Amino acid sequence: MLSSRITRLSSPRKASRAYSTPSSKPSLQLVAQLRKLTEVSISKAREALVASNNDVNAALRWLEEDLATSGARKAAKVEGRDAREGLVSVSVLSSGSTANSGLGGGGIRAAMIELNCETDFVGRNTLFTQLAADIAHTAAFISEPVESDRLINSCPLDVLNDAPLLSRTNPQSHSSSTVSSSIRDLIAKVGEKVSLKRAVTVVQSPLSQHTTELGLRLGSYLHGSVNSTPQGRIGALAVIGLKAQKLSNRLSSEAFMRDIERLERAVARQIVGFETKSIQSFPGEADGMALYDQPFMMLGGDAANETVRTGLDKWGQEHGLLEGGVEVLEFAKWTVGDVE
Amino acid sequence: MFRLAAQRAVANKIASSSRAVKSSTLFARCRTSTWKPSAPASLPSVASWGSRRSYADVAGKFSRAKPHMNIGTIGHVDHGKTTLTAAITKVLSGHGAAKFTDYSQIDKAPEEKARGITINSAHVEYETDNRHYGHIDCPGHADYIKNMITGAAQMDGAIIVVSATDGQMPQTREHLLLARQVGIKKLVVFINKVDMISDPEMLELVDMEMRDLLSTYNFDGENTPIIMGSALAALEGRDNEIGAQKIESLVKACDEWLDVPPRDLEKPFLMPVEDVFSISGRGTVATGRVERGVANKGDDVEIVGLGATFKTTLTGIEMFHKELDRGEAGDNMGCLLRGVKREQVRRGQVIIAPGSMKSVKKFQAQIYVLTKDEGGRYTPFMSNYRPQLFLRTADITVSLTFPEGTPDAEERMVMPGDNVEMICDLVHDVAAEAGSRFTLREGGKTIGTGIVTKILEVA
Repeated sequence: MLSSRITRLSSPRKASRAYSTPSSKPSLQLVAQLRKLTEVSISKAREALVASNNDVNAALRWLEEDLATSGARKAAKVEGRDAREGLVSVSVLSSGSTANSGLGGGGIRAAMIELNCETDFVGRNTLFTQLAADIAHTAAFISEPVESDRLINSCPLDVLNDAPLLSRTNPQSHSSSTVSSSIRDLIAKVGEKVSLKRAVTVVQSPLSQHTTELGLRLGSYLHGSVNSTPQGRIGALAVIGLKAQKLSNRLSSEAFMRDIERLERAVARQIVGFETKSIQSFPGEADGMALYDQPFMMLGGDAANETVRTGLDKWGQEHGLLEGGVEVLEFAKWTVGDVE
Repeated sequence: MFRLAAQRAVANKIASSSRAVKSSTLFARCRTSTWKPSAPASLPSVASWGSRRSYADVAGKFSRAKPHMNIGTIGHVDHGKTTLTAAITKVLSGHGAAKFTDYSQIDKAPEEKARGITINSAHVEYETDNRHYGHIDCPGHADYIKNMITGAAQMDGAIIVVSATDGQMPQTREHLLLARQVGIKKLVVFINKVDMISDPEMLELVDMEMRDLLSTYNFDGENTPIIMGSALAALEGRDNEIGAQKIESLVKACDEWLDVPPRDLEKPFLMPVEDVFSISGRGTVATGRVERGVANKGDDVEIVGLGATFKTTLTGIEMFHKELDRGEAGDNMGCLLRGVKREQVRRGQVIIAPGSMKSVKKFQAQIYVLTKDEGGRYTPFMSNYRPQLFLRTADITVSLTFPEGTPDAEERMVMPGDNVEMICDLVHDVAAEAGSRFTLREGGKTIGTGIVTKILEVA
């Protein structure tokens, strides 16, 4: 509809332009076309066409080069602003112990990132949600296991910023852009400050190489997601440890896997839904912010009347795990706009 | 209570005199049926029954003689929403139709507490020849939704602000989606910063792209007025033809294109039943405050909700022990119902113009769940949560579930602070329609507020 209108509008001018000088005014049609392709501003699209003699392909190249400088300029301009909206995005490439973990699978590889912008209008836009998902995917993909006592480790932002951006939905696509240049391009398009605030990763090789009794699983939950993408306003990752004799036998049961996944989701949801500051309370300091003290509302059924600790123990017994066979080892919970 | 009654009685007397119809006193405003556009300051008449303080100041500030409408500005942060708002008040203050509100005063977007719920929005008001506008500017999507659900500042129309240099941006789609979601049917577009572009032809493109996008989101792209100007020029008082003049055209476009919502008095009669009495020798009287419309003695009415729907006749209208022929929106009155037993009428039912509303059992609603700071719940809830639903005077247990097709509905949770679309399944039927507002309470505290979006099952 738009294109037909543009054709109609610009056709009378065509004749006069055919013989005009190369630096002639770009037609509306071309500007509109370039905008459809790139979502750059009108004045930028026009500038690109002027600089490249109304050749759309040349204009696209020009824009790509220009984005580096003008995007940086725009980014510098909005640098001082507050960006407190946005999304927490989680990417789980591998969620832990499975039946065939002996064969190299079964480790955990996941990441959680927070990408900020200024208004929730931008936060709901697909350009933004896609970029957030891709950055989370990239973080999960590139991270190496680190020497650390902790399972959930923060991912250095400078490393992540320089990493080539990997697409979550289309792993085959090759693009030359890095995480930081993609953020800069988005700033140029939406005109708001966009910044990568924080990132954590969980990268753990399977424990099954050392023991047949122990296993690790990852639970994640995102609350308030837009368009049912794996991102939202509040996100949590939780690493759950399992202990059972011949664990891999249990993991090979489909019913067990279904139950454990349900439990993981319930634990992550519990962490998000309740104000959770720690896993266990220190003796004599029960303030309801410790996960194990909370009523386990998220497991469903009768579990709402007992604590998470009891709920996990019961679950372990019912599923033939060793005593204390289900433990939440670590978790990370973020809310968009949190002050760290 | 007695004081209120006395005030109303006085007001009522005044309303019946033709002079008071034109007066702009608080009460006369509520009960004026002909909202005459001419609103001369008939302050003397107010002063003459003057022992009630402060009415005169109120009347001086805000005349209800013109139809009122709430209008919002939506747009990208840098496209000049606030400048435009300031420019409108500046230009209109030239005719004394607004108080000039400067940029810095608008841009604060103060947190307000409306019915205990925190709302982020800036309010400005101004008048045109035909209308009175309340102007709303919120920082984000969630704020507008909250406004809509709570009714704190329902937008009846909106101005979309787009800069000529950028044209529509990726998030303009989200702006239009929001306008749809809060129920806006018509928009006016202001293309700002036209003095900043070198090639005026580009304005055509901005115009075309906007019309195209409007049509994509089911607005009337062909006919939506698009005004091009410079809000800054208007604010700074320069370049009259793209400044002040364009602001005037914008305001005119709002007057002509945007529809004023129907006023309470023009809607069909509705009175929620608050109490029921049996008066010996006369019959059954139901009392309540008329929410909308007008009823005359002898009208047929319908009593709807809580099981029995039946028709009867208003054989009498009473206010403060005086018989009247007519009652209208805002009146606290009693309805004498022909041939109705006291047991047939209960608090929670409504008395309406026949056929104007149905009793519903199940509906879809947009709900805002109060945060714990707003006095709401501390913890989330899941599907099948059963709080009490208060709609007008009715108090009914409701079961909340997620709409059909919601993925993982049985594992989904709703947290304090969320805006959610949910299905409300009522234990008893109640009179309701799309747009009816309600609150949700549990254990004596309000935990949520909502607005009916779709009726799913009629009793």
